[in-house]
Amino acid sequence: MLRFEPTSLPENTEPLRQEVRDFLSREGAHLQSRNSDFTTGHDPAFSAKLGAKGWIGMTWPEAVGGGECSFFERYVVTEELLAAGAPVAAHWIADRQSGPLLLRFGTQAQKQQYLPGITRGESYFSIGMSEPNSGSDLASVRTTARREGDGWLINGTKLWSTDAHRNHYMVALVRTEAPSDNRHAGLSQILVDLRNDSAQIRPIKNMAGGEDFNEVVFEDVLVPADRVVGEPGNGWQQVTSELAYERSGPERFLSAFRVLVEFVRAAGKRPSPTEAALIGRATAHLLALRRMSISVAGMLQAGQSPDVEAALVKALGNDFEKLLPEMARLAAPDALAAPDALASSGALAVPDPVTSDDRWQTFRATFADTLLLSPSFTIRGGTREILRGVIARGLGLR
Amino acid sequence: MSTRQLLIETAEKIFTDHTDKQALDAAEAGQFPEALWRILEANGLHEMALPNSGIALADVFAVFKVAGRFAVPLPLPELILGNRWRGASDGFVSVGLFQDPDAVAVPWGRRADRVLAVSAEGLRELKADTVIAGTNIAGEPRDRVSGSELQLLNSEEDPLALLALARVLQMAGGLERTLELSLRYATEREQFGRPIAGFQAIQHNLAIMAAETAAAIRSADAAADALNNADPYRLPLEIAAAKARVGEACGVVAEVAHQVHGAMGFTYEHELHHVTRRLWAWRDEFGGESYWQQRLGSALAAAGGDALWSFIASRD
Repeated sequence: MLRFEPTSLPENTEPLRQEVRDFLSREGAHLQSRNSDFTTGHDPAFSAKLGAKGWIGMTWPEAVGGGECSFFERYVVTEELLAAGAPVAAHWIADRQSGPLLLRFGTQAQKQQYLPGITRGESYFSIGMSEPNSGSDLASVRTTARREGDGWLINGTKLWSTDAHRNHYMVALVRTEAPSDNRHAGLSQILVDLRNDSAQIRPIKNMAGGEDFNEVVFEDVLVPADRVVGEPGNGWQQVTSELAYERSGPERFLSAFRVLVEFVRAAGKRPSPTEAALIGRATAHLLALRRMSISVAGMLQAGQSPDVEAALVKALGNDFEKLLPEMARLAAPDALAAPDALASSGALAVPDPVTSDDRWQTFRATFADTLLLSPSFTIRGGTREILRGVIARGLGLR
Repeated sequence: MSTRQLLIETAEKIFTDHTDKQALDAAEAGQFPEALWRILEANGLHEMALPNSGIALADVFAVFKVAGRFAVPLPLPELILGNRWRGASDGFVSVGLFQDPDAVAVPWGRRADRVLAVSAEGLRELKADTVIAGTNIAGEPRDRVSGSELQLLNSEEDPLALLALARVLQMAGGLERTLELSLRYATEREQFGRPIAGFQAIQHNLAIMAAETAAAIRSADAAADALNNADPYRLPLEIAAAKARVGEACGVVAEVAHQVHGAMGFTYEHELHHVTRRLWAWRDEFGGESYWQQRLGSALAAAGGDALWSFIASRD
C-alpha cells in the first residue's frame, strides 16, 4: 500500500512565501497570468531577477551559487510562481532537472562551468531525450556519439526539445556503444551547446499555436570530450535517478490553476450553487494533490527514493489538470456563449478590450489557452499509461 | 506507544474478533451486535471523546478509520460523539438528522436509549416514542424516531461537520479495505492461464484505485489533523474539502473494485459488498459531495479569486 505521510512545511517557509508574494506583486508587469503552465512564458529578464533573489538552484551548494536550502523552501517558491502564472519556462528545466543532474553526476569542472550561470538565471537548458522513434520507450534512442579525435561526433535527431531554439544547452541522451542484450547499457548524456555547436534546430508549431518545442538534428556534430556528463555509459542511471523529483512537483497539478482563479473572479462573491460546487470540488482536489506532493518532497528531503509515489502524484495531478477545464465549462454554461476570444484569431487571442464588460472574458481566454495545452499534460514527463505501469509495479502487480 | 496507536490497536483487536462476515450478515438481518457493544463498553471506547477523557479528538477519529476498514456494524461515531455532546455515557446513544419534529436516519434508532438530532440550529435530545425502522443501501439500520424534545444541547462544536468528518474517516478506511481486497483477488484469480493482475488493463484499473485511495486517505488524515491545528474558520472548510474529495473517490473505487472482482463480487456471499455498499451510503450521509462542495465553494467565492491560492497554500 502506498503511503503519503502527513508533512507540514517548516515554519521558516512562511516569511519566504511572503517575500515571494511581495516580489511578485512588484513584478506585476511580468506576470502573464493567462495560465500557470510551466512551459509557457519564456522571459530571461524575469529569470535573471529570480536568480538575483537566490530562487534558482536553491537547494544546491553555495560553492556553485546555490542557496543550500531545503526542498521545502524550493517547493514554496516554485508553487508561488506557478500559482501566480509567472513566466518560469526559461530557467525551469535547468533548475529542476539539468542542474541537479550535473550536481549529482557531473565532473567537478562541469559543475563549476555550468551551475553558477543557472543559479544566476542566465543559463537555460533543454531536454534531449525523445526522438522520432523513441518516446515512452526511451532506451530505444538511436542518436549516436562516437569518439572522434579528442571529441565526440554526434548523429541523430532529438524531438520535442522544449525551447531548444531559445536556450543555451541541451542534455542529449545518446548511444555511445552499440546496442547489446542489456538495452540500458551503452547510453550516455552529452552536453550540447545549442548556440555554438552545429546542431540544426527547427521549432515545431503546436496545436495551441505556440512554437516552444523543437526538432534538433545532429549531422556529424563534433563536441569536445569534456561534454560527456560524468562517465560514458552511465546515461540510463542518470535519466532515471531524478524521476521522483521531476514528477512530484507542483507543476504536475497546477497547470490549469488559473482557470479556477478566473472562474472564481468571474463568478463573483455570490456564485450560483453550481458555480460554488465547481469551486469547492476543484479546491478539494487541489488540497489533496498538494498535500501528497509535499509528502513526496518530505520523502526526498529525508533521502528516500519515492519514485512510485511521485508517479502517482503526477498521474492524479495531470488527470485533474485536464478535468478542471471540463468541470468549469459545464458549471458556467454562459461563460463560453460569447465566442469572441475563441473565434477571432485563435485561442491565444488577447482578450478583446471592446467586450471587457463581459465578466467571463478573462476566464474564457484562460480556459481556451489551457484546454488547448491540456493534451500535453498527460504526455510530457511520462505518459499517464507509463505512470500507471509504475504504480502497478509499486503495488506488486508486475 | 502513542495514545493514537494504542487506540488503533485496541480497536483492531476488538473488530478482528467481532466483525467477521457472519457478524455483518447478522447485523444486516436486523440483529443488534450485543456482544460487540458490550466489549466496546467494557474497554471504554464509547467514552473516549468525553470532555474529560484526555484524548485528543484527532486520535478518536483515527479509530473511526479503523471502524470503516472493518465495516463495523455499530454506529461508533454517533455513539462516541453523542456521549461527548451529552457529557455522559449512560446507555446506547445514536445521532440522526433533525427533520421537524422527528429525528431521521438514526443508526439503530430502534435500539437507542438516547437519540440526538442534528440541525443547523444545533442538537436536540429526543425522548423516543415511536420508531419506524429503515435501512440505508448498505443495510445499516437508519430509523425515523418520533418523540418529545427533551432539551436543546449546547455545543460549541459544529455537530454536522464532525459527523461528516467521521464518515470521511470511515470511508477512508473502507477505501483502503476495498483496494486490499481487489489487489488480493487480482493476484489470486487466474484466467487465460495466469493471474488477472498480469493483464495491463487490470493493472491500470488497480492503479486508478490506488491513486484515488491514496488521495482520499491523505484528505481524510488532513481533515482529522485540522481538529488540532486549524482555526475555527478553516476547520469546517477542511472537513468540507475532505467529504467532497473522499466521497468522489468512493464512486470510482467501488466501481473498479466490482469490475475487478467480476461476478464473484456481485454475490451476497462475498465480503466485498459489505464495504462497497457502505462507501456508497456513507458518501451521502451528513451531506453528500454537492452539499460540501457548495459550502466550501461559497466560502471561497466570498473571499474572492485573489484569496483562493492563500487558502490552498497552507503549511499543514
